[in-house]
Amino acid sequence: MGKDAEEGGYSVYWRTWGFLLVLTLVMVVLDQAAVPRVILVLVLLTAMLVKAVLIAGTFMHLNQERLSLALTVAIALLATGAVLFFLIAPDGLRLLHMKN
Amino acid sequence: MVEAVSKAAMASRWGGGVSPVGVSWNKLMMWLFIITDGLLFAGFLAAYGFARLATETWPDRLEVFHLWFISAMTFVLISSSATMATAVGAARQKNRGLVTRMVTATLVGGGIFLAMQAYEWTTLIREGASLHGNPWGVPQFANYFFIITGFHGSHVLTGLVILAIVAGKAFRGRLTDEGVELAGLYWHFVDLVWVFIFTLFYLI
Repeated sequence: MGKDAEEGGYSVYWRTWGFLLVLTLVMVVLDQAAVPRVILVLVLLTAMLVKAVLIAGTFMHLNQERLSLALTVAIALLATGAVLFFLIAPDGLRLLHMKN
Repeated sequence: MVEAVSKAAMASRWGGGVSPVGVSWNKLMMWLFIITDGLLFAGFLAAYGFARLATETWPDRLEVFHLWFISAMTFVLISSSATMATAVGAARQKNRGLVTRMVTATLVGGGIFLAMQAYEWTTLIREGASLHGNPWGVPQFANYFFIITGFHGSHVLTGLVILAIVAGKAFRGRLTDEGVELAGLYWHFVDLVWVFIFTLFYLI
């Protein structure tokens, strides 16, 4: 059995691997280019989330599980992380202004 | 009336004996562990974000890090995730030989990642970085770096131990496909955390 036959049922994982690699390369190249900061941050964050969805959906099979499980994981992590950051971020900025 | 309601409850999805999210208890507990462990890293990264906002300047990432080296680390970890996913698929198809080969490949990838991380740490420590200070002008920078990457690295190390056990069991034919899947979930979680650390700490 050749490598191709072995990988026949697993091609979705290796296609995802390819996408992840391309995304990573784009992120690294962009990071070293003269791109306006706001655009760079937005693009990097979007690419990061796309990579996360690809890994969780394809590698971790969340796209085959029940929606209730996928939502439990997504909301628990992303929403809590967002709340953690966005609720304390204004204090960070306030500290910065106080120092100045 | 009460009997009718309780009968309806027992017959429903929440009546017991059935998992509401449609997975085995083992898998559900692994997912719950992943959520709680993910929140650990969410806390670290949120604190790091707070520190960035509260600090006027931050070391230039292009001066501190060798980005192509870190990209190579990312490539290695993503590749190890792909081999692990293939192993899980092979386990479902009862292909013991492929499971053993793919889990071993994942183990090797994880080992290479840890070695590269150790090299990066050594380089930065030799340049003067420590938990107490660093030569780049922002005292807490190296502290955040070592804590965040250190916790991630320890998770990679734990993953390697798990994978070694799985590879050994697969080789001896004593592995269930669920066992491979649960190990796979943990490994993909480690990769997922790295995606966030790589972007938020190294690139932004």
